Amino acid sequence: MTLGGFILKNALRNKRRALLSVLSVAVSLFLFITLQVALRELTQPPEDLGSSLRIIVRNRVSLVSPLPARQLQVIEKIPGIVAVTPFTFFGGLYKGDERFTSFAQFAVDPVRVKDVIIDAKVDDTEYASWVADRTLCIVGLDTARRYNLKRGDRMQFTGTFFPCDLDLRVAGFYHGTADDRTVFFHQRYLDEALGNPGTVGCWWARAASPEDAALVTARIDQAFANSSAEVRAETERAFQLGFISMWANIKVLIGSICTVVVFTLLLVTVSTMSMAIRERFRELAVLKALGFRRRELLGFILAESFGLSMLGAVLGAGGAWLLYRNLDIQKLANGVFLAFEVTPRMMGMAFAIAALLGIFSAIGPAFSVARTSVVEGLRTLD
Amino acid sequence: MRRISTASLMSLHIVPIVFIRDLSKLYRQGDINIAALHDVSLDIASGEFIVLMGPSGSGKSTLLHIIAGIDRPTHGSCRVQDTDVARLNESQLADWRNRNVGFVFQSFNLIPVLTAFENVELPLLLTGLNASRRRQQVTTALNLVGLGDRQDHLPRQLSGGQEQRVAIARALVTDPPLIVADEPTGNLDAKSATDVLEILRNLSQQAGKTVIMVTHDPKAAAYGTRQLHLEKGEIVV
Amino acid sequence: MPAVFTLLIDSFLAITALGIAAVFLTAFLSAVPVKYNLKSVYIRWRSTLATVVGIGLVVLVFVLLQSLAVGIEKSNASTGDPRNILIARKGATAESSSLVTRAQLRTLQYFEEIERNAEGDPVISADVLVLASLPRIGPSGEANVLLRGVTARGMELRPQVQLVAGRWFSPGRREIVVSRKLAGRFANFKVGDSFKTGPALLTVVGWLDGAGSAYDSECWMDADESRSLFEREMYSTFLVRPKNPEAATNLIRRIENDKRLQLRAESETGYYRKQTLTAAPIKWLAGFLALTMSIGAVFAAMNTMYAAVGARTREIGTLRVLGFHRRNVIVTFLLEGILLAMLGGALGCLISLKWNGYTTATLSIESFSETVFAFTITPVLVGQGMFFAAALGFWGTLLPAVRAARLPIISALKSL
Repeated sequence: MTLGGFILKNALRNKRRALLSVLSVAVSLFLFITLQVALRELTQPPEDLGSSLRIIVRNRVSLVSPLPARQLQVIEKIPGIVAVTPFTFFGGLYKGDERFTSFAQFAVDPVRVKDVIIDAKVDDTEYASWVADRTLCIVGLDTARRYNLKRGDRMQFTGTFFPCDLDLRVAGFYHGTADDRTVFFHQRYLDEALGNPGTVGCWWARAASPEDAALVTARIDQAFANSSAEVRAETERAFQLGFISMWANIKVLIGSICTVVVFTLLLVTVSTMSMAIRERFRELAVLKALGFRRRELLGFILAESFGLSMLGAVLGAGGAWLLYRNLDIQKLANGVFLAFEVTPRMMGMAFAIAALLGIFSAIGPAFSVARTSVVEGLRTLD
Repeated sequence: MRRISTASLMSLHIVPIVFIRDLSKLYRQGDINIAALHDVSLDIASGEFIVLMGPSGSGKSTLLHIIAGIDRPTHGSCRVQDTDVARLNESQLADWRNRNVGFVFQSFNLIPVLTAFENVELPLLLTGLNASRRRQQVTTALNLVGLGDRQDHLPRQLSGGQEQRVAIARALVTDPPLIVADEPTGNLDAKSATDVLEILRNLSQQAGKTVIMVTHDPKAAAYGTRQLHLEKGEIVV
Repeated sequence: MPAVFTLLIDSFLAITALGIAAVFLTAFLSAVPVKYNLKSVYIRWRSTLATVVGIGLVVLVFVLLQSLAVGIEKSNASTGDPRNILIARKGATAESSSLVTRAQLRTLQYFEEIERNAEGDPVISADVLVLASLPRIGPSGEANVLLRGVTARGMELRPQVQLVAGRWFSPGRREIVVSRKLAGRFANFKVGDSFKTGPALLTVVGWLDGAGSAYDSECWMDADESRSLFEREMYSTFLVRPKNPEAATNLIRRIENDKRLQLRAESETGYYRKQTLTAAPIKWLAGFLALTMSIGAVFAAMNTMYAAVGARTREIGTLRVLGFHRRNVIVTFLLEGILLAMLGGALGCLISLKWNGYTTATLSIESFSETVFAFTITPVLVGQGMFFAAALGFWGTLLPAVRAARLPIISALKSL
C-alpha cells in the first residue's frame, strides 16, 4: 500500500460521511457560482464596442419626460455625431402578459437607426420591406425564437405608458447585438396613434469614435441648456450603469446576503470535515506510536480534507458551469436573464474557496494532533 | 460447588422460570455454518443464581443473550415464565425486556451524560409511572446497592465498582424476575468485584430474583447456586 | 409557477409538518429520554454549534429576504383610504404613466355619487405626477423621485400624510415638501435647500411623513405649479370620495361602463395593494435561496447527526436492552435534531429582529421611482422561519435516526 492509497482509504472509510461532505461543499459552491452569475448579469449589462460609441439623449427631468421632435435638426449638426434616430420606449404588454413584458419595444426611424446600431445584422430584403411599411417591425432573434415568430406574424401590444396600442406585423429579424431581444417599429406609427404630439422619448445617436463620445455628449447637453427641454446625453454604457444604480440598496443587500450564504455553508462544512478527522484521533495516535512524525500526520490530514473539498469544487462549480452552458436560461427565467455566463474568474474564486476550506478544516484537528501525546490519544475513545 | 441439584429442585416441585428446549444458534460465516449453540436444553428455577462458564466462543454469551431477549435462536424454544421469547416480534420483545429482564454489562454501559439517579430512572420512563413513584423506586434501588448518597454523581465521578452498582440498580429498578449479567466483574478490582457479587447473591437469596451470570473467574463462579460449563455450543456439566 | 410544482412543494411542506407534529406528539405521549438527548448535545458541542449556527444563518437569510418583500407589500397595503376611489387612464400600470384630461374632470364633477363639501363642490383631487431624476447623497448616482402635484383637496383626502418639519408649500410658488424618509437619501432635501429639475428651481419648505405608506416615497407640490413647470396640459389621476360605500360601487361601475371616458376606477387601497411586481423577484430569490441553502444545511445536519449516532452506538444499544422500542429511538433522535435546529432558527429570528424597521429603498417596478420601505418582521414570518428550521432538523435527522433505530442491540455489549 502506498501512502497515497492509505490517504484515499482513510478518506473513503466512512463513505457516507465523505459523500455528504463532498456534496455539501458542492452545493455551497454551486450556489456561490449561481449567485455570482446572477449578480453580474443584473449589475453588468452586456458590453460591446457599440455601447461606448452610442449615445442616449434623454430629458433632464427624467427618462419618462418626452423631448420635442424638433431637437433632431440640432443634434444632427453637432460635430462628431454620425447618425441619430428617435428612440421611444413603448413599454407595452405583449399578448398574454398581464403585468410585465420582459422585452422592450422601441419606436425609431427605420432609415436612421441602421447607422446607429451598426452591429445588428438584418437581411436586406427584410430590412427594405420594414422601411417601406410603417406597420411592420423588426424583432430580435432571441425574442422571435422564444415566441416562435415567423415573418408576417402579428404582434400586438397594449400600451401602458402611452394611451394607445400597437398592432404590428413582423418584417424580419435582427441578431448580432449584445441583446437580441428588442422589437423596433416606426416612430411615425406611434406619432399617428398618439395624434402627432411632436415629441419623442429619447434620442439615440452614434459618435464617430469612442474618444469623441465624451466630447459629443457635452456638446449635446450644451446645445439645449436653458431651453424648455434640457437634456442629459450619455453613452449607452453610462446610461445602463445609471439605470442599474437606481436599484439602490437591493443590490448591496443581495451581495451581502450572498456572502452570508456562502459563509454559512462553509462554516458548517468546515466543522463536519474537522469532526471527521477528530474522530480518528485514536488512530492518529497509533500512527504516532508507529513512528510517523507530526509533519507526516499533518500531511495526511491536509491531503484528506483538501481532496474532499476539491472534489466538492469540481462537482459544484463544474456542475454549475456545465449546467448554465447548456441550459436555455432565457426561456427558464422568463427572459429576465440573458446569457448567464460563468466566467473563469468565478471558477477561480470557487476553487480558491475550496482550497481555503480544505486548509481551514485541517487546521483545528492538526493542532490537536500535534499537541496530544501518544498516550493521551490512545485514551481518547471518541 | 453445587448446593442444590436439579433433581432436588424437581423433587421440590418448583416451577422453572426458564425452560429451554433444543436451542440452536447458527451463524453463517462465508459458506460455512457455525453453531454457537447446539441443541441446548436447560431449566432454571426461580431464585437460582446460575453461572455460565466456558472458553471464548463456547456459546455462553449467546445463550445469555437469547434468554435476555436480545438475540434470537435459529431453532428451538426458550420460554421464560410462559412466554416463548423466540416468538415475540421486535416491539413485543422490547416491552418484554423492560418488564422481565434486568441487564448488567461488563463495561457498565451507563449513559455518560446522565447522573446516577437519571441512569437508574431510564427504564422506568417506559412504565408510565408518575414522577414521585419513579423517584421512590429509584431511591430504593440505589439504596439497595449502597449508593443512596451518590444520586447526583455522573458516571465519570464514580469508581468502576460504583458504576457497576448503579448499573445493577438500573437492572432491578423495574423489579424484573430475571437479572442477567455478562461478566459483571470483568472490569473491576477484587474488592469491587466482591461487592457486586454479594449484591447479586443477595438478590437471588433474599429478593428471590433469578440471576444468570456469565463469567471467566472461578472465584466469581463460586457465588452461584449452580455452575454450567459450555463448550462448543453444548452444556458439558 | 406551474401548478404541479406548487402542488409538489405544498405536499412536501404538509408531509414535513405532519412528520414534525408526529415527533412532538409521540415524544409527549410515549417514553422518550428527552433529558438524555438534551444532555448528549453538549458532547460534540463544536460540530453541533456549527450546525446550529449554520441553520440559524440559513433562517436569518430567509427571514430577512422575506421581510423585505413583506415590507414592500405592507407599505403598499397601508396606503390610501378605503373610502377613496382612484381613477386613472385605462391601461396605465402606474399613476405616473396615467393621463387624464380636464374634459374628463368636468364630466366627473357632475357625477352625483361623489361627495360634496361644505361649499357644495365635489370632492375630487386631480393630481399631477412627474418623475424627476435627482442626485442621491454621495456618489451613487441619480434616481427617479415621484413628484406629486396636489391641491388642498388632495391633502384632505390623504390624512395619512402629515407635515413633520417646516411648513406646507404655498400655491403658486415653486416650493416642495419632501418625504422625510427620502430626505436621508437625496442631496439637497433639507428644509431650506433647493434643487433643480428641468428648467425649474424648487425650494424645499417642509418634510412630510406618510406613516409607512407608499406616500413616504413621494414629494408634494402645488398641482397647478407642477403643470406649468413641467408643461403638462393634462392631469395624471383623480382621487375622489364617494358619498357612501354603495355610491362607491355605483361609481366604479358607471366609470367602467362609460366607453367615452376610457377610465378605470378602483378603490385607492385596492389599487396600491395590487402593486406586487417589486416584491415578486425578492420573494423568488428568498425561495430559491431557501431551497438551495437547505440542501446544504441538511447535508451538514446529517453529517453531525450520523456522527452523534455513531458515537452513541453503545448507548443506543443499552436503551434498547432496557426495553426502549425502535420508534422510541427514532423519535428520540428526531426530537434532538428538531430542537437543535429550532434553537438555530430562534437564533436566526432573533438576529433578524435587529433589522426590523430599518428603512431601505429600491426602484419600484410599478412607479419606476425610488420607493422606501422597512424590513418588516411579522409574527407570521418568525413562525415561518421556525417551521423552516424545524423542517431542516427533521429532514437532516430522519436518516441518521432510522439508522440508530436499526443498530443491532448486541452492539451495546461490545466493549470498545
